[in-house]
Parts: sequence; C-alpha cells; structure tokens
Amino acid sequence: MHEFALEMMDITKVFPGVKALDKVNFNVKKGEVHALVGENGAGKSTLMKILDGVYSSYDGEIRINGEKVLLRDTNDAKKNGISLIFQEFNLIPSLSVAENIYLGRLESNKLGVLNWKRIKESAADLFQALGFNISADAIVENLSIAEKQMVEIAKALSINARIIIMDEPTAALTQSEILKLFKIIRELKCKGVTIIYISHRLEEIFEITDTTTVLRDGQIIDTVKTCNTSKAEIIEKMVGRSIDREFPVCQKEIGETILEVKDLIRKDVLKEINFNLRAGEILGISGLVGSGRTELARTIFGADAVDSGELKIKNKVVRIYSTLQGKKNSVALVPEDRKDQGLVVNFSVLLNMTICNLKKVTFKNLILNKRKEKLVCGEYIKKLGVKTPSMQQKCINLSGGNQQKIVLAKWLFADADILILDEPTRGIDVGAKFEIYLLMHEMVKTGKSIIMISSELPEVIGMSDRILVMSEGKVKGCFEKKDINPELIMKAAIG
Amino acid sequence: MIKSENIAGSMDRFFISKIRYIFQNYAVALVLIAIVILVSLYSHSFLTIQNFDNILKQISVIGILSCGMTLVIISGGIDLSVGSIVSLAGVIVINQVNTMGVLPAIIVTLGTGALLGAISGLILAKIKGRLGEAFIITFGMMSVIASLTMIYSGGIFQQGSGTGLFGKIGLGVAPVIIFIVIIVITQFLLTNTPLGRVIYFLGGNIEATSMSGINVSFYRVMVFTLNGITAAAAAIVLTSRVGAASPAAGTGYELDAIAAVVVGGVSLSGGRGSMINTVLGVVVMGVLGNALNIMNISSYPQNIIKGIIIILAVGIDIWNKNRQWKV
Repeated sequence: MHEFALEMMDITKVFPGVKALDKVNFNVKKGEVHALVGENGAGKSTLMKILDGVYSSYDGEIRINGEKVLLRDTNDAKKNGISLIFQEFNLIPSLSVAENIYLGRLESNKLGVLNWKRIKESAADLFQALGFNISADAIVENLSIAEKQMVEIAKALSINARIIIMDEPTAALTQSEILKLFKIIRELKCKGVTIIYISHRLEEIFEITDTTTVLRDGQIIDTVKTCNTSKAEIIEKMVGRSIDREFPVCQKEIGETILEVKDLIRKDVLKEINFNLRAGEILGISGLVGSGRTELARTIFGADAVDSGELKIKNKVVRIYSTLQGKKNSVALVPEDRKDQGLVVNFSVLLNMTICNLKKVTFKNLILNKRKEKLVCGEYIKKLGVKTPSMQQKCINLSGGNQQKIVLAKWLFADADILILDEPTRGIDVGAKFEIYLLMHEMVKTGKSIIMISSELPEVIGMSDRILVMSEGKVKGCFEKKDINPELIMKAAIG
Repeated sequence: MIKSENIAGSMDRFFISKIRYIFQNYAVALVLIAIVILVSLYSHSFLTIQNFDNILKQISVIGILSCGMTLVIISGGIDLSVGSIVSLAGVIVINQVNTMGVLPAIIVTLGTGALLGAISGLILAKIKGRLGEAFIITFGMMSVIASLTMIYSGGIFQQGSGTGLFGKIGLGVAPVIIFIVIIVITQFLLTNTPLGRVIYFLGGNIEATSMSGINVSFYRVMVFTLNGITAAAAAIVLTSRVGAASPAAGTGYELDAIAAVVVGGVSLSGGRGSMINTVLGVVVMGVLGNALNIMNISSYPQNIIKGIIIILAVGIDIWNKNRQWKV
C-alpha cells in the first residue's frame, strides 16, 4: 500500500499576468484530514480546481495512490475518486434528494424507463449507512444548508470518492450543525476516506484536522502536524512577509469628516454598521469574502437598497436609493468585477471614459460635443498614464491595470469625492499595482476620500490610514494606523 | 525598389483589412448588389426607375417601423407589439380624423403609440428583464393591443371619409420623405445625443451601465416609448395611403421590421449597429420581395427564402461576435 492518497508535484499554474501557483508540492496521506489554509488569493482554490479537473492546463504531475493520473475534466476527477464540495452546492433545488444523488446515472431498464423504486432504495440505504436522517423523497430546496451538505457528501460517496475536498464547509452552519459535520468527518476517516479541509476558521482546524498546509502567494510555506503548531504560528505563516517598499509613501493632510454611516442595516447582510470617513483619508476595509464588505460598498453607492440607517455626506443627511443618487452625492464605486460591472469592455476607451458624466461633454445637455469628448479622454489618458494605442481601442484588449485606470478615470471625470474601491488591484500585476497605489495617493492629496476593500492584508496595511475589519456583516474592529498589525486584523476577521 | 515594394505590400494589407471590415459589417450590401445584378439580367422591368419608385413606396412603412425597432434592439431589447400598435393606431387615426381633424388626430395617435411603448418599457424596467423577458412581455402586449383594437373597432374595417389633407400623407413620395426624415432623426439621436449613447451602453452591458450611476430604467422606458411613436407614425402613413384601416392591418409587421433590422447587421445581442445597417436591411428585404415577385415566385417559396436569409443573418452576427470574443 502506498502511503499517500494524493501527491501533487511541482504544480505551476499561470494566469495571464499572474502566477497563481508556483511549484507547489502538496501531499496528503491516506485516511487523514488535511487542512489547507491561506489568505484569499493565496492559491487554494486554484490548486483544488486543478485537482477537480476544472483547470486542465498546468505544469507538474499528480499522483493518486502512487499512480500518475491525468485530470482533464471533472469526469476524470470523479473516475479517480476525487470529489469537491463547493461553498455553493451543485444541487438542483427543485429535484428530490434521490434524484440529485443519482443525477446523470439514474438506473433504467432496457426500455429506458427509470427504476424509481431502486433509485430511492439505494439513496435510503446510503443515508442509513452514513447515519443521516434525511428522506430520499425530500425536495432539496426544502432542506437546511447542513442537510444539503450531507446530500453532497452522500453523493460524493455514492460515486466511490476516496478523496473529498471540502471548501469552507462550515461557513453557513450553526454550532450544532458543525458538531454533526465533524462527527461525519470522523466516521468518513474511519472508513479510510481522505479529506482535504479548507477553512478560514482556525479553531476548527485544530479540532478536526491531522495535518495543516499553509499556502501563501501560490507557494507552500509549510506542512506540519496540526497538533505540533499553534494558531498564532499559522497566522504568522499565512500573512508573514515583509511589507515595506511594496507601497509608496504619502504626505497628506486629513480633514473634516465627509461621510458618516449610522446603524446601516440590510436584512441578512449588514448588521448595524457604524463608521465615518474623513476628507483625504484612505479607509481600508478588511475581512473575509462573504463578510459583507462588497454589500456595504454597494449599499452606500446605491446599487443595493438599504433597509434602515442613516448616511450623512458633508454634514447633510442623504437618501441614496439608486446609483444615480449615489453619483449625485459624489459617491463612486469601482466594482470588484471590472469586466462585467466596471466597464463595457467591448466599447472603446473613449466611450467608457465619459459615460458617467455625459452632460459635461454636451452643448446645453442635449447634443454631444465629440471634439470636447476626445479632448477630455486624451487628458485623462495622459493624467492617469493609461497605456492604449488609441482612444478607439476596445477596453477588452487592454491589460487589467489599464482597464482599472479607465474605471478610476471615469469617476474622476464625474467629480466623485468619495471613491469606494472594491479589490482595486485584483488580477493586476505588480508594476501596475504600484501605479494604482500612486493614483490613490494623488486622489487623496486633492482632498478626495477613499474606501478601499481588499482581501490582501499587506495591501490594506500598506495603504490605509485606518482599517475597518468586517465579519458576518458586522464591523468587528477599527484600527488606527499606529495600532495596525496583521495578527490583530486576522484575529478580528476570523472572529 | 525595395521601398516601393514595401509600400505596395502595406497597401495590400490595408485593402485586405478594409475588405474584411466591409464583409463583416456590410455583408448585406454585397447581397443587395448581387440580387440587383442577377435579377436585372433576368428581367428588363426590374432595373427601371418606375420599379424602384415602387420598391421605395413599399418599404416606407416597414422602414419607419424598423427605425424605432433599431433603437430597441441596440438597447438589448426587442418589441413584438409594434404590429398590433400599427393596427390600433390605424383605426384610431382614421376615426379621429373624421371627428377631430387631421392634426389633433395625428397627435392623439402618436401619443397612444408612445403610451403603449412606455407601458412595455416600464414593465421590463421594473422586473429588470433582459432580452428573453422582453420577448415574452411584448408578446403579451401584442395580444392585449390586438384585442383592444378589435374592441375599439368592433372588428370592422374602418372606412375613411375620402381624400382631403390626411390622404396626402400617404401620397406619392411623401411616405419616402417621412421615412428619410425619421432615419435622419434616429441616426442623429443615436450618434449625437446622450440618450443615444446610453442606448448603446444598455445593449453593451446593462449592469456596467447601472454601475456608472445611470438611471437605466428611465432610459429603457424612453427607448420603448420612441419605438411606440415610430410604430404609430408607420400606421398613419399606411392608413393614409390605403384610405382605410383594417383592425388587423399590422399583423406580422413586427417580424418584418425585426427581420430588416437584423438582416441589416444590427446585433440582436445589443450594443452594435446603426441606422445604416437598418436602411440596408430594409432595402434588401424590399428589393428581394420585389425581385421574387418579378420572377413570378409565389408567396410560399418567397417566405422560405426570406426565412433562410433571416436565420443566416443571425448566424453571421453570432459568428462575428464569437470571433471578437476570442481575442
């Protein structure tokens, strides 16, 4: 018998402009629960997607039970006994539990008529063997999240999965459901199933896993026996890197409060958010994906409706119920999803540049002044250093950094004073990142204010004057520049 | 020597890329030229001024309809209710001309078209619908408006009260002039006004447009309202020319208009195209119909040919788009 259930050797995966994984060696022993931890963007998802056959092009070798395998698609992964349980389930809500489990391989007789009795029986048998208390007839959409997860696990086992990857399995579970899940994991372990457990919640890792691997910037930092390490040590390994010189220095003055957020509530998403923002300030918002950061940004901008609470901009209470209102109150949102929300990528640089403030390039608000439009566009291309062959170039043909500059430019042209930047440097290479940071400094020097949401701790720490940490829709802490340290933020974010 | 060869080479490349551009954007113009050449070889009565005068008059009504439809399709929508609007506007205008006079009747009719378009636009904006929803909602509107027309007219053919001022709208070259004026207005709207710019953005990416602080609902309602107005205008021209209005006069017109727009090369997925495309499409469909008539091809095979051309046009559009996306 081979010692390792899974060996991933020298795995390298390059996306345009970003090296997501760099010679990663990830080995998992048979029958163990192996934790994979790291910040957002460290490469965990990429590594697991390679294992699940989602990304078929990569460098390196994968062995299962010591045998080299090729994982070209998810079917290959399934054949090799690998099953990935995503944060969002792959179940069809309107179908029954039994149908979901055997979807795609429903048993039928020679005439093609399905044998429902057999299908239901085998689902029921499966649940009994696992000790799950779910009816095979239940419709998936009526199940709780924990139950849906059990269905996913049963589905994985029904195709003889020997390696199950769980991505943030406890994210939406209550405490008692988590205990139930752990019981199931231990039983699976006894049956010899290998589990890769991805979670941000470190205490869980100490409770359930045998080995922990820390991934950072696409590289394996360390693989240790979980019982031989500590929470503090893992956090240090997750974030520990030198953060000087990655960010420009800025001399500026911070002025009066420009935005006040009071008891902002959006049902199920934001819970009594309070904070303020001063002129010339960069306020960083840190927190895990799903902590309500993006939702907060969208609510202030007016892209999502607010349930209750008060917004004060320049000492005036405002009601922002649409993006137009947001714009009129000089709030801008540079969205995380640049290609689908920030720009119309199939349109030219010129068209995208002026769309937020068309009035300014018209005769009497009625007729477009195309000469002025071109002048404006040229001016902003120069000002922000956008590298494009011409104004007529379609944005889709530009690099991520240049696209981001255009999104920033269009809001500068719209005279926004409060800029909310959601992951402003995601998918942008190092050089362009620095340029974006410089632009941010330019903006705050002229008295504008920035709220920067980022998953990259060093970026938040390097750029912000203050940092707000969010978790589960709440503000979990607010740190002044002098008090900022990565461990503190990580602790607040993990809750 | 070497230098001149280089210039020749780059000129070649320039022409090749130019030709490719024309092929991609105006393939239909080439189809038009081909039809004209082939049919004029076949029949001497085809390439005559009289015949072309004929064609122009025939295409005016669908042409006017297509102008509004172009706006809707560029904005990423579609409107199946315009045929019904033509029917309803036709019976309204002929009755109102008889009772309240020409100018008030025209204003009331255009207003009705605007209102009906606005209703479709408003529903679509409220439910934040996309192309699929637009199909179904305007399909529903089509049925509602067709029934309203039947109720209003009692299902009876509405006779006008003879010639007079109203009859002049559909007379001689007047429909062609109205068509051209509407083309010029819509093209100016599209390329030279903020409204036109936003129409392209709606079709390009409605989410990104909304995230640019633009009230997308308002603009969507505007687009459908304008489309309702052009539909009513088409009805006025048609009714004037015929001198009477059938409560089913516009049946099927929406498909002719959509076909013309799409055949001309306006992208069904929105964000691309101009009035040049639409005019080309209208002319091609008109010339094609005329040519088939001249060649004595009966209406059933004619419809098969038209159907194939529409399917081809959508195919070419998707093919073009996929090529672009690949970059």
